[in-house]
Amino acid sequence: VVDQIRLWQIEGERMKATGGFLFKDFVTAEEYDNLANYADEVGVLVWRSDKRRMFFVTRHEQIAAYLRNRPKKLT
Amino acid sequence: MPKAVKGVLVQCDPSIKAIILKIDALDHDFIVEDLDDQTLVVKESKLVELKQRLEDELSNTQQMPEESGSE
Repeated sequence: VVDQIRLWQIEGERMKATGGFLFKDFVTAEEYDNLANYADEVGVLVWRSDKRRMFFVTRHEQIAAYLRNRPKKLT
Repeated sequence: MPKAVKGVLVQCDPSIKAIILKIDALDHDFIVEDLDDQTLVVKESKLVELKQRLEDELSNTQQMPEESGSE
């Protein structure tokens, strides 16, 4: 698992590179909110866009476990 | 179901990001997702090459400020 943050000094400009995973393709805002908020709570969230329903995390294990363990919705 | 894509989140100045877009435009082999004007996700395996190309690009710009981009 890559879990690192690198800073590059390029011509006086700072550039930050963080290894991890981009979550996308959420069907509903509710599902996006739930998962992004969970990622924030467990401290792996580094970037999010509510408008685009995408977020970036440094680790995905806890997110995957959360998805597996959450109660199934009745359809 | 949402999708999780492995990559490297790059957060930088908009001017640096514009150069990354230009580098990627050649073969579309660096960027995984363009997020906003200061943020994008790139392939982890291409990060070192991207950094090298960025540095090349920046030193070229300095040497030839008014050259009509022959690349």
